[in-house]
Amino acid sequence: MSKPCIMVVDDEKIVGDMAKFHLEAAGYEVETFVNPALALERAKTKHFDVVVTDLKMKGIDGMEVLRTVKALSPSTQVIMITAFAHLSTTVEAFRDQVFEFFPKPFKLKDFVAAVKRALDAKDVGVNQG
Amino acid sequence: MTIKRTLILHGIIIIGLLAATGLFALHDVGNLVTMTRFMEIQEKMNVSFLEMRLLEKNYFLFKDDQAIHDITNSIRMVDDTLDNLSQEMVKTVGQAKYQDLRYALDAYRDKAKAIAASKARDEDSETVLRESGRRVLEFSASLTENTRTKIGELISGSKRGLLVSFLLFLVLAVFSTPIIFSRILSSLDKISRLALDVSQGRFRKIEGTVPNNELGAVIAAMNTMSEQLRLREDELVQSKKLNSLGFLTAGVAHELNNPLNNISMICQTYEAMYDSIDTKERLEFVSQIASEAERIQAIVMSLLDFAKPKPTIFTPGGVNAVVRRSLKLVRNTLDLSNIDVMLDLSAGLPFVNMDVNQISQVLVNLFNNAIQAMSAGQTLAVRTRVSSDGMVEIEVQDTGHGMTPETLNSIFDPFFSTKGTDGTGLGLSVSYGIIKNHGGYINVQSEVDKGTTFDILLPTAESGEVENE
Repeated sequence: MSKPCIMVVDDEKIVGDMAKFHLEAAGYEVETFVNPALALERAKTKHFDVVVTDLKMKGIDGMEVLRTVKALSPSTQVIMITAFAHLSTTVEAFRDQVFEFFPKPFKLKDFVAAVKRALDAKDVGVNQG
Repeated sequence: MTIKRTLILHGIIIIGLLAATGLFALHDVGNLVTMTRFMEIQEKMNVSFLEMRLLEKNYFLFKDDQAIHDITNSIRMVDDTLDNLSQEMVKTVGQAKYQDLRYALDAYRDKAKAIAASKARDEDSETVLRESGRRVLEFSASLTENTRTKIGELISGSKRGLLVSFLLFLVLAVFSTPIIFSRILSSLDKISRLALDVSQGRFRKIEGTVPNNELGAVIAAMNTMSEQLRLREDELVQSKKLNSLGFLTAGVAHELNNPLNNISMICQTYEAMYDSIDTKERLEFVSQIASEAERIQAIVMSLLDFAKPKPTIFTPGGVNAVVRRSLKLVRNTLDLSNIDVMLDLSAGLPFVNMDVNQISQVLVNLFNNAIQAMSAGQTLAVRTRVSSDGMVEIEVQDTGHGMTPETLNSIFDPFFSTKGTDGTGLGLSVSYGIIKNHGGYINVQSEVDKGTTFDILLPTAESGEVENE
């Protein structure tokens, strides 16, 4: 069985870099993107099990990443990184499509655990389907 | 001199003049009455003398012995009258004339008495007596004439006195009264103009020497008030700035969150990976932490810089740079509210003479208002250009909820706010003051549900430089 594939999209380069260190150490294959447009291009050609995206980005925001990824692959789990405790109504409307909202700043240990939970949930979903 | 004292003095002069005129007139009338009465007596005396002259004729011509006794009797009566009136007569005609008459009368009496005793009717006696009688009548007539002249003098003197007092009144009415009132009115005029200016936010002072009276005290008080208001306005500008800062802080917190999160993640990774990474990678981590710390420092510095009270310094500069700088301050607020920005900044704009911090404060205030008026997905447009009348124009346009004409009428009034407890109602009034202080104008157009456009017009600097964009 091949390694699970994780995509991390955040316009803060360090977030991707650090996430990659920890996720790879946990045994996942990781691709990071600072530019969400390039990330979505990549998603068209490669299947990702989990996509982690920042909500607030210049140009394409996390909501658009969510919509596009779900359209390409409904089974892909999306984790949304947000800087706020309160979510706007537009974001709230998509709550059921997002696996988890993850507030900044966060512990990387918790982050890796969240990705693992997402993968587990996906497997359950696949098994059930 | 105080106005009160001036007016009192003026009143005293008028009353004094009236009293003097009255007393003068009363005195003259009194004199006139005395003299007239006195002249009546003199006329009677003259008549007596004329009768005596007739008696002389009776004695010498018609041999009437009784006539010479009648003469001496008449002389005695006149003598008594002269004794009684001696004081008044001396006063009116003078000692000399009075004495002349007395001597002449004495001589006449002596002659009459001598003739009465001798019963002489010779030519010599007749000549002597008639000569004496003639002289008495002559002196008496001259005395009467003298009194008449005195009465004439008294009347013309009285007329002159009344004329002089009339002229004095005229001078008072024509010159001194208008001078006093024009002094009061010109001060009042200055005060009312200052009051009008202050009510419109122009906190100037009344220049020139302050009169040393009650209005001078009012002017000094007004000047102090104006100065105090100006100082308060400076404080108001600062407090409003801190108010804007409050609104900016939400955005800034978010902006700080990113580098803080980055530092936190680098540290966690560094700790977890310490054994598996080499020195070069470790140094790389540390330098990343340093650069993220610098990012935080820059954010904090820009906030501190905005909040710090600064003296007003006018320097020629370009508005595009100020627009960019101000937008940077609200960048995160824009992102949080999901508001897009459309920038249309004209190149080669003339420099304007401005206090960069104050203009930035005005723009941040307008941006914040615009952001609050709009909902997610809408666009804030900022344009700069040269206006039709050659001023530099900054346009801040939102597509938010707009304002009713009633609201629009009051937005620059201090303490007017549509934000309830969230607003102080000072932002736009302070902005208005700042732009006025720059010799510029701030105009607004708004339509409910369509949006609001603020136009700032600033005069170009004399340096003639242009902003290179």
